[in-house]
Amino acid sequence: MQPAPKDTLKARPIDEVVVTATRAERPMGALPLPVTVISGKQIQQMGSLRLNDVLREQTGLAVVTDHGQGIQVQGFGPDYTLILVDGEPVVGRTAGTLDLTRLAVGNIKQIEVVKGPSSSLYGSEALAGVVNIITQTPGETDMRAKGSLSARYGANKTSDFSGDITKQWAVGQSGKLSVYAFGNRYQSVGYSLMEGSQTVAPFTNYTGSGRLTYTLSPTLKLSVSGRFFTENQSNAFIVGQTTQVSGLGTVRDYSLNPVLTQQLRPDWKMTYRFYRTGYLTETNLRYTAGQEAYDASFFRQTFNRPEVVTERIFNPKNILILGTGFIAETVEATRYTDRKQFNTTYGFVQYEWMPTLRWTVIAGGRYDAHSQYASQFSPKLSARYALSSGIALRGSVGVGFKAPDFRQLYLNFDNAVAGYSVFGTQEAAAGIARLRQQGQIADIVLDPARLSAIRAERSVAYNLGAQLKSPELPLTVSLNLFRNDVRDLIETQVIARKTNGQNVFSYNNLNRVFTQGAELESSWRWAVGTGYLTLSGGYQYLVAKDKSIIGRIKAGTVYRRNPETLASERVRPAEYGGLFNRSRHMTNLKFFYEQPKKGFSASLRAIYRGRYGFADRDGNLILDSDAEYVQGYMLYNLSAAKTWKSITLQAGIDNLTGYTDPAYIPNLAGRLWYTTLRWAWKA
Amino acid sequence: MRIYYVLLAVCLSTAFISCNSEDNPVVVQPLTATTVRDLAADPTSMTSASGQQPVAATGKFTLFSFKDNKQVANTDSATNKWDVGFRGTMIIVNGGAIRTGQGGAYVHTGTFDEISTVPASATFAQDQSATQLAITASSGKGWYNYEPTTNIISAIPGKVLIIRTGDGKYAKMEILSYYQGGAITPTSTNVARYYTFRYLYQPDGSQILK
Repeated sequence: MQPAPKDTLKARPIDEVVVTATRAERPMGALPLPVTVISGKQIQQMGSLRLNDVLREQTGLAVVTDHGQGIQVQGFGPDYTLILVDGEPVVGRTAGTLDLTRLAVGNIKQIEVVKGPSSSLYGSEALAGVVNIITQTPGETDMRAKGSLSARYGANKTSDFSGDITKQWAVGQSGKLSVYAFGNRYQSVGYSLMEGSQTVAPFTNYTGSGRLTYTLSPTLKLSVSGRFFTENQSNAFIVGQTTQVSGLGTVRDYSLNPVLTQQLRPDWKMTYRFYRTGYLTETNLRYTAGQEAYDASFFRQTFNRPEVVTERIFNPKNILILGTGFIAETVEATRYTDRKQFNTTYGFVQYEWMPTLRWTVIAGGRYDAHSQYASQFSPKLSARYALSSGIALRGSVGVGFKAPDFRQLYLNFDNAVAGYSVFGTQEAAAGIARLRQQGQIADIVLDPARLSAIRAERSVAYNLGAQLKSPELPLTVSLNLFRNDVRDLIETQVIARKTNGQNVFSYNNLNRVFTQGAELESSWRWAVGTGYLTLSGGYQYLVAKDKSIIGRIKAGTVYRRNPETLASERVRPAEYGGLFNRSRHMTNLKFFYEQPKKGFSASLRAIYRGRYGFADRDGNLILDSDAEYVQGYMLYNLSAAKTWKSITLQAGIDNLTGYTDPAYIPNLAGRLWYTTLRWAWKA
Repeated sequence: MRIYYVLLAVCLSTAFISCNSEDNPVVVQPLTATTVRDLAADPTSMTSASGQQPVAATGKFTLFSFKDNKQVANTDSATNKWDVGFRGTMIIVNGGAIRTGQGGAYVHTGTFDEISTVPASATFAQDQSATQLAITASSGKGWYNYEPTTNIISAIPGKVLIIRTGDGKYAKMEILSYYQGGAITPTSTNVARYYTFRYLYQPDGSQILK
């Protein structure tokens, strides 16, 4: 914990400034969009280490597991939420999931979560929402060096060492140079939920990040930030019934981000950014007994982006933001035929208009011209109306899109063991031709030539809400209703049948789905003794369904197996549970207690995730019977910390009751205790 | 028996005309469906040296006769004594280029109870080759779905297999389970390749299935 800041005795925190919603610094309370901000201080009080730990406790977010831990927003899977660090995208997804455990949280100033599509500013992937991690920046006024060191040890032999340091120097008359550096080492032996097999393999990872800012003059500022992450995993698991497979895996990512900010005039700002990032994985698995190769694979991705953004403040009531950029991406992988490249050229515009004190209107749009699929235009309009000083209404309508990813375009994979093949849409024709030449094709189901015109997945989203910030009481309440209509959802489709009875799969724009629901959040702060207690709660109600399945159920052509007699019967509309892996109900209740004078703080958080569909079990491929659900569960996380001058001792237990569900929830490790010692210093 | 069904067919075809038991004292006995439980379809030993594919026990089909409601010896595979055969997820019929009987199959979408006659639109496919069977042995194409996340084979609900038997009669059948004990919600611990199914056999050669 930081040494107690001066303003902690204020009854209410000042309105946080967020950048994600508009690409410019704006007070959160004035925005017409649902935005959640999680402060670095709160992250420390929660005792979180990685981004997934933080996000799983937030209202409306569920951490789901599929080739890593990803985030579900408004009922969309992890592929549909863009993860940013300081406004720049993190790349490296496996089966659509960007593994949140890659991101350490020790260097975070705050996390901003915008729900609803933000493609109008950020383009592809920002269909369900955007999570933007704002890292620490060197202080503006304090010229002294300061830093911290922390060490933590806990269950599963998990250890974490973090340190950061910041220092500033005056250069010349008006220049200033500042440096912030952060390092982290995180290690665990992993855990096993089932006898004889490791659920999470032992791993060690290192994160280094830093930022150098050089204020050349009051109007010109250069910032260079970078990040490096590397993780080594020792895999060992069982295939088939008894055969041991083991080997090493590595995951790496890096980024470099120079940004030049030029204040041409007080009302006219230019930002020039360049961003380069890369993601690499390598796996080498062998049969433990004979050391023959089981699977050796690699994946290398790069992302380069120059971008220019200008912000013009005509007057405080009219602000224009314009931006343009170019993205060059490449990927090389074992399952791709050769190095693939694609490019995007884009431009965006956003106009903020505050005609009266009560109204804020933001209109914007972005155009993405892509080398591999149809160009996209993503407009968005949002507005906020203040009914009184404490109550405001807000609403937005916007378009989001997600481009077909590398896998959907370029995968070229024959599963030698099971005998099926999967081709990306741009590889399908060549793949089918090859298999046909080898005499492996029995019949063609869908002409592969039709697939090459694959379109991006698109949604139209509506968000409507109200927020209350009581002028008299330390109480805030916000409500948001949402509806997302998605079309051209990309799904795997059988395109040919092989002579061995297996299928050839590719990807196609198939489904139309919708997600809709409501989110309610509230917090209340009391003075208790010499400290204060913050009680906050949140709830999300969600329905996410496939429109074509609803139509077929209404037509009486969807059947299920009666759980008692096993006989077929028609599925009734009410029995359809919607998309898998979506909880209808999710809720949380959190207590944070703080006594700044005595340097004491504690928290208890209860997080509930309602039952959700896991997989079809009765052959109709849809979620309709009770046996297809994973039971709902409650997690209790507890933490307490005490600070003596510059030393803080923290201890906590996550998942207090030790809840696990080995068959269905691999990322719940059971009860986890930890203790942390932290030293913060100032020169 | 035959005359009853002719009468029934007359009743059906003249549904507007009064046709009840007072006019016709002969009570038609409806055929009853038979449920076969745990018919082994070449189950596997589940101990595999390579650890990749379970080793099949024999590689032979389990042949079944609807008329006799019992298994037919494999040595009779080249006769028309059997009607359907099972091996793993493959279901064969006794008709086509690689069979000796007159059988065939049509996969109907609906419920077992509702279908009371062979549909007029039915087209009977036959086993033409090991890879071109009357009932396609592929997930989502024939009688079952394969769920890759759980590795479970489940009989697609609402699929009724209309079977023409080895000797040219008709029957309808529905696969209820692919797992030993007719597991309602099978998991990876359930033993696969055990069929539980129900069928209704029409011995009189007509296409009425009730």
